[in-house]
Amino acid sequence: MKRTLVLIFILIAFASLAVSAEIKLDVKEHVLSNGLKILMIQKPGVPRVVCHIYFKVGSINERPGITGLAHLHEHMMFKGTKMMGVTDFVKDNALNKRIDELIDKIYREKFWKSDGGDNEKIAQWQKEYEELVKEEKQYIIKDDLWTYYMKNGGTGLNASTGNESTGYYVTLPSNKVELQMLLESDRMLNAYFREFYSEKDVVMEERRLSENRPGYLFNEQVNAAFYAASPYHWGVIGWMDDLRKVTKTDLIKFHDRYYVPNNAVAIYVGDLDPQNIIQMAEKYFGRVPKGTDIEPIRTFEPPQYSEKRMYGEGPAPTSLQMMFHTPQEDHHDVAALSVLANVLGSGGSGGRGRFRGRGGGGGFGRLYKILVQEKQMAVSVSARNRAQWYVGAFQFNARPRLDKNVKPEDLEKEIWAIIEEIKKEGVTPEEIQQVKNRSKAMFIRSLSRAAGLARSIGRAELNRGWRSLLTDLDDMKNVTNEDIKRVAAEYFVKDNRLTAIYTRKMARRQGRRR
Amino acid sequence: MKKTLTILFAIGFLFVSLELAQVEKPSDLKFPPLKYEPPDPKDFRTEFANGLRGYIQEDHSLPLFNISAIINFGKLYVSRDKLGLDSIMSETLIKGGTKTREGSEIEERINFIGGSFSFRAGERISTLSLSVLREDFEEGLELFFDVLMNPEFREASLNLAKASLIQDLRQANDQPSGVLSREYERLLYDEHPLTWQPIKTSYEGITGTDLKAAHSKYFFPKNIILAASGDFNKAALKAKINKMVAGWKNKSLKIPSFSKKFPQPEPGVYFIEKRINQGYVSLGHLGIEDTNPDYFAVQVMNFILGGGSFSSRITMKVRSDEGLSYNQGSRFRYRWGFPGTFSGYVQTKSSTVGYAIFLIMDEFNRIRRERVTEDEMDTAINYYLESFSNSFESPQSTMTTFANLDMTGRPMNYYKTYRGKIKAVTKARIQEVANKYIHPDKAVIMIVGDFEPCNKGGVKWPGPLEKLGKMHRINLKDPLTGEELK
Repeated sequence: MKRTLVLIFILIAFASLAVSAEIKLDVKEHVLSNGLKILMIQKPGVPRVVCHIYFKVGSINERPGITGLAHLHEHMMFKGTKMMGVTDFVKDNALNKRIDELIDKIYREKFWKSDGGDNEKIAQWQKEYEELVKEEKQYIIKDDLWTYYMKNGGTGLNASTGNESTGYYVTLPSNKVELQMLLESDRMLNAYFREFYSEKDVVMEERRLSENRPGYLFNEQVNAAFYAASPYHWGVIGWMDDLRKVTKTDLIKFHDRYYVPNNAVAIYVGDLDPQNIIQMAEKYFGRVPKGTDIEPIRTFEPPQYSEKRMYGEGPAPTSLQMMFHTPQEDHHDVAALSVLANVLGSGGSGGRGRFRGRGGGGGFGRLYKILVQEKQMAVSVSARNRAQWYVGAFQFNARPRLDKNVKPEDLEKEIWAIIEEIKKEGVTPEEIQQVKNRSKAMFIRSLSRAAGLARSIGRAELNRGWRSLLTDLDDMKNVTNEDIKRVAAEYFVKDNRLTAIYTRKMARRQGRRR
Repeated sequence: MKKTLTILFAIGFLFVSLELAQVEKPSDLKFPPLKYEPPDPKDFRTEFANGLRGYIQEDHSLPLFNISAIINFGKLYVSRDKLGLDSIMSETLIKGGTKTREGSEIEERINFIGGSFSFRAGERISTLSLSVLREDFEEGLELFFDVLMNPEFREASLNLAKASLIQDLRQANDQPSGVLSREYERLLYDEHPLTWQPIKTSYEGITGTDLKAAHSKYFFPKNIILAASGDFNKAALKAKINKMVAGWKNKSLKIPSFSKKFPQPEPGVYFIEKRINQGYVSLGHLGIEDTNPDYFAVQVMNFILGGGSFSSRITMKVRSDEGLSYNQGSRFRYRWGFPGTFSGYVQTKSSTVGYAIFLIMDEFNRIRRERVTEDEMDTAINYYLESFSNSFESPQSTMTTFANLDMTGRPMNYYKTYRGKIKAVTKARIQEVANKYIHPDKAVIMIVGDFEPCNKGGVKWPGPLEKLGKMHRINLKDPLTGEELK
C-alpha cells in the first residue's frame, strides 16, 4: 500500500522548467492528493530555506458585515491551535465556550438594540468576561508558535493579507524545514481561536494607525467610490464597525471554508532537496483533508457610465489622482497598458497586480520630463497600471509645484493633453524598447532575492499559475505602438474615470475620535 | 531507463520516510546537525590603485553586476551655514551630470539598459549603488566612476531638488511618527549637529560650488570603500577600476570635531499636540555605542525586553495580553561615533496611552529587578545563533556589510567571533546590563497626540499624565522658518 502510494506521487512530482524567450525559471512542482500544491526552487548559497504558504483568500472573499475578516483571521492564526499555545486544552476549551457565550450576550445587547442596550447589564457581563479571561491565562502559552520559530532561527517571520491572497512566511535553517511543515499543517487542521476579542482590539489599533497617516481616510473613500460594486470596494483592514461586531462564528466559518489544502500553495526556495521536501509535505500537509470547491467571486465591476469627481482636504500633500478602470490581469490588453504606464513613468513603488513594480521610475518617464523638468509644474508625477485578479486600474498621481501656484486642476489638463497625444501618435520605438529592457532586467534582479521570488511565484500560482510570470514578459515584448494607441483610446475616456483632488489644510481634524 | 529511475526514486523516498518518525509536537522534532562558517572578509578584500580598497565577490549564479561605493561623508560633516547640502547632494549627484555627460543622458542610458543607479547621503556614510545586467558591465562601470569622480551639479538639477525639498519641508510636521522621532532625538541630543534641521533658506543658499567643494573634500580613494558582486572576473574588474582611478588624487581627511557630551534632559512627560485618535509614544534616554563591550549582552537583554517581537515581554504584555496596540516594543539604536538611543515605543488609542506607558515602564523595572528565565534566555540566544547565516544571504549585501565594518573601524573578525560572544551572555550579565543601561528614573516620555483624551486616560489607568512625571508641553517649530509655531 505504502509503495503504491509512493509510486503515484512520483508520477505527479515533476521538474518543470519554464522558459521565456530569454529567461528560464526552474520550479519543481508536486501536488498532494488533497490538492495542496508544493513548489520548490533550489538556490544554493547559505544553508537556509524560505518557506511560504499562500491561501487563495483575501478581502474580496468578504461581504458587508465581515469586512476585515480575512486579515483578522490571519492575526488569529498566530494565537495557537488545539496543540500549540495551550497547556490543558480541555479546560481551556471549556472556558472559551463560556467566554464566547458571554460576548454573544454583550454583542446582542450592544449591537442589536438600536439604543445601544442596557449599560448596566453590559458592564456586569463585561466584568464576568474579564474574570474568565484572567482565569484562562493559566492555560495559555503566549505566542507559542512565534517563539518556536524564533528559537529555531526563523527570520522574515510574518504574514500578510491582500485583496486576493494571504501568505504566511518564515525563513529557517535548511535542516529545520520540518518545523514549518508541522506548524503550518497544524494551524490548518487544528486552528483554535483563543484571545479573539483582545486581538480584535489589536486590529482596531492597526486601523487607527492607518487613519493617522495623512491622506489615508480620503484615499479609502476614493477607492470605495472607484469600485462601486465589486468587493474591491472596501480595504483589506475593513470598516471599523465590522471589526467591532464580527463574531467568532464568522471567523470559524471563514476558516473552514478557505483554509483547505485545495485552496493553497506552499513554496520553498533555498538550499533544499526536493525529494526531502516532498516527503515531509506528504507526511504533514497530507493529513489535512481536502475541502469543498470554492466558487470565484461573483460581482465584477460594472461599467461606470459617468465621470466621478471627489474633493478632499486635510494634512496630506496637495495632489491629483486620476483613475481609469482597466481589465483584470488575464486580459490581452494588460501588456499594452503596462508598457504605456512604464513609458509615462511608473512611480517606482509598484502595485500589487500583474507587472507590478516593473519599469519606469518616476524620474525617467515622459510625464516627469514634461511636467517636472520642462514645464516645472509638478514636484512628482507617476503612472501605473494595476491589474488585479478581477479588476484593474490605471492610475495617475501628481503633486503640483505650490511655489509656482500650480493647482491640481492645471496638472489634470496637462496630463489629459499628454493622453490625447498618445491616442493619436502613440509612443516612440525607443520608449517601447526601453520598457522591454527594463522588464527583463528587473525580472532577473528579482531572481536574486529568495523571499521576493517565493512571494511572486506563490501569488502568481494561485490565480494564473507561476508560468504567467514568464508569459507576461513575452506578452510585453510583443506590444506594438498600434496596441498602445488602441488601449489609450479605449480606456482613457471621461466616463471611465475618477478624478480626486486633495488640498492640504492643517486645521482640519482627521476623522472622528473613536 | 525510465523505469529504473522511478524505482531508484522510490527507494530514495522510502528511505527518507523511515527517517521521519511520527511527530505530535514541535518539541519531538529532531533536526540533523548543520554547520555554518561565515565568509571571511579577508577572502574578498581587494586593493586598488591610489589606496582605494574594496570587498569583491564573483557570483555567477545570475547575469548581473552590482557595485557600491561607501563614502565617509554625510549630514554630520556639513557646517551649520550649509545645512541641507547632504540632501541636495542625494538628489543631484547623478541628476546633475558629470564634466562630460548631462544628468539626463546618464539617467536615460541607465533607464534604457534596465539598470538601477542611486545615491544617498546618510549621517556619516554615503552610498552610490549601481546594478546592471552582465552585458552592460563596461558601460555601467564607466558611468559609475564618472559620477563618483566627476559630478558637475548643474544648476537646473539643483533648482529642481530645492523645489522638491522645500515642498517636503511643508509636510515635515504632518506624520505623527516623523514628528516623534525627530523631536525625541532633539530632546536627547539637545543642540548638536546630530539634530540640526535645514530650513527653507538653508536649501536656497546651497550652490553648485558648495557641492563641488564638499565632493572634492570627501570623495577621494582612501576615503571610499567599494563593494561589488556579480558575474564578472575579479582580475578583469580590478584592472578596469585601476585604470579609471589612476589619476584620482587623495586628500588629507579633515573631519570636524564633535562634542560627545549631551546634557541630561529633565525626566518627565513631553507632550506634542496633534489631533489624531492615538498617542504615538517613545520613552527612554541615550543608549550606547555598538563598539561597547557590553553590546552583545545588551542585544540579548533587549530581545527579551521588547526587541524580539512576539517573543518579547513588552509585546506579550501590551499587545497579546491587553490588546492595546499593533506596534510596540523597545529598541537600542546605534550610530557611528556616538551613543545611540534607547526607547520603549507604542502607538495606542488616546484613552490607553497612560496605561500602555505604565506597562512598558513596569517592564523596564522588572528586567532590572529580576533575572530573566531559562526559557527566555534559550529563545533569545538560539535566535541569534540559528538565524546567523541569514546575514550572508546575498553576496552584494555581504560585501557592503564588510565595507561598512571596515569604514567604521570595527574589528574585521566581528562576524567570526559573533556567535561566541552571544553564547557567552548569561542571565546575570543580562540583569547587570539592564541596570547599567536602562534608567526609568531618567527617562523622558514623549507623546504625540490629542492632549485632552490622552490626559483623561481610561478605566485601567485614569489620568492625568502627570502621574508619570512632570508635564512639558512642546510647541513645534515651523519647518520652513525654524520659528516656533504659535
